[in-house]
Amino acid sequence: MKHPIIDVRNVYFSYNGSPILTNICLQVPEKEFVAFIGPNGGGKTTLVKLLLGLLAPDQGTIRIMDKPPSKVAHRIGYAPQDMSINKAFPISVLDVVLMGRLSAHSWVRVSRKDIMAAEKALESLEMKEYKDRKIDDLSGGQRERVFIARALAADPEILLLDEPTANIDSHGRTYLYNLLKELNRTKTIVVVSHDTMVLSSYVTAVACINRDLHYHDEAEITQEMMDMGYHCPVELIAHGIPHRILKTHGSGE
Amino acid sequence: MIEALEFEFMRNALMAGLFASLICGMIGSFVVVNRLVFLAGGIAHSAFGGIGIAFFFGIPYLVGTLGVALAAAIIMTGVVLTRKSRADTFIGILWAVGMAIGIILMDLSPGYNVNLMSYLFGSILAVPKSDIYWMAGLSAVIVLSTYFFYRDILAISYDDEFARLRGVPVNLIYFLFIALVAVGIVLIIRVVGLILIIALLTIPPYIAEKYCRSLARMMIVATLLSMAFNLSGLWIAYCYDLTSGATIILVAAGAFFISMVADMVLKKLKKQGKEPPVSVNPT
Repeated sequence: MKHPIIDVRNVYFSYNGSPILTNICLQVPEKEFVAFIGPNGGGKTTLVKLLLGLLAPDQGTIRIMDKPPSKVAHRIGYAPQDMSINKAFPISVLDVVLMGRLSAHSWVRVSRKDIMAAEKALESLEMKEYKDRKIDDLSGGQRERVFIARALAADPEILLLDEPTANIDSHGRTYLYNLLKELNRTKTIVVVSHDTMVLSSYVTAVACINRDLHYHDEAEITQEMMDMGYHCPVELIAHGIPHRILKTHGSGE
Repeated sequence: MIEALEFEFMRNALMAGLFASLICGMIGSFVVVNRLVFLAGGIAHSAFGGIGIAFFFGIPYLVGTLGVALAAAIIMTGVVLTRKSRADTFIGILWAVGMAIGIILMDLSPGYNVNLMSYLFGSILAVPKSDIYWMAGLSAVIVLSTYFFYRDILAISYDDEFARLRGVPVNLIYFLFIALVAVGIVLIIRVVGLILIIALLTIPPYIAEKYCRSLARMMIVATLLSMAFNLSGLWIAYCYDLTSGATIILVAAGAFFISMVADMVLKKLKKQGKEPPVSVNPT
């Protein structure tokens, strides 16, 4: 296995005394495209926040690019799950994306270069024409694309997207996943998502998270994984994905 | 109005009103977009404790109120940053305790009885020159810090979690701006009073927020609105011999009401315009 860019070892996390994540181990090699799947409340978002250093584990260690998460958070492009916060805020789409270019150590807060990079990020998500709109005037799906553009604006080495497609229609989804596949040539990508069927034709690995974590470095999503991840049988329907053969994984996972 | 300007107190009142508008327009926008109105109210009320301390211990008024307001601001910000869900309770406690301390200490101070009404509504017609200089200085500090930290304020106010990830010193800037809010409140209370400061911090930014696409524009529009309210309020108060602070509040509240009604009417018109024409089925 290549040297992992994300290295999580024996991490425990609990909130108000109830365990959210137990004994999580996760080694993601560079340029992997990982999907985090699992039921709501299973700890996916918590793990994302641990990877970003927004939360600290109770036990265990997390290394991103061989450093503690808080030291390298600015090299991770992050799009959060909840876009509805602060909806009425007077801010333009371009200004939201420019947040992604902020850094701790520069006196000039926004240069021409920053604006160009932000516009390029918006363009890659087909959102450039909306750059002067107030964020409040956009639909949920458009807002989500703006937040992905913000994550891309600083050209990060790792992309962490927490349910990026929750409000996006199926055309938008396909477009987004194709874009991510393209970006995957140079970046490591982690996507939290429920659309397992769409995902399975793009991702290179799957992590099932439901308090514990099972990592599958082959991209097929099996019935067993779904059952384990969601604690109830989920019908697997593979639309036109002929290479997807649902095999069971060995015990000891 | 013109002949009124022959009086120095009237000129001072006008200047004080304009600087108060600038300070309130800027920090008010910060307060409103960050949902910190309750915290601002808490600072303003607990600062009353500072007056009591100043009189009781015989220290200068400004030292007492600034000290207490800043201390309250630091404690409240600390609570907001660490225990957001309980912040309003702590602010409520400080709010009440500050006022109570102020009143008890004044009871105990021999021979002096400060007029609570003047704390509530201020005395814009009796503003000394020195207060105007203080306000001018603070206005400069607020404008410069906002210009310098604009992107950071924007990021922190909009999405503080993301700002933290980008390496923005969130806590530091948060403390800095709430300290500016506290200093602004203390200076302006003397001029326009406790009630008006809450009105000026909230009404103009709230109206401006609806029509502006950026925080910077919101700050400018809020300042201009606030100036308009102050000038017209003062003028009406002068003409009809009314309490100036209360008159300014009612002018601002009137504008707030008009903007709300106008919004509702506009929305309705827009909806009607958008509705597809009712097609009459020929059959």
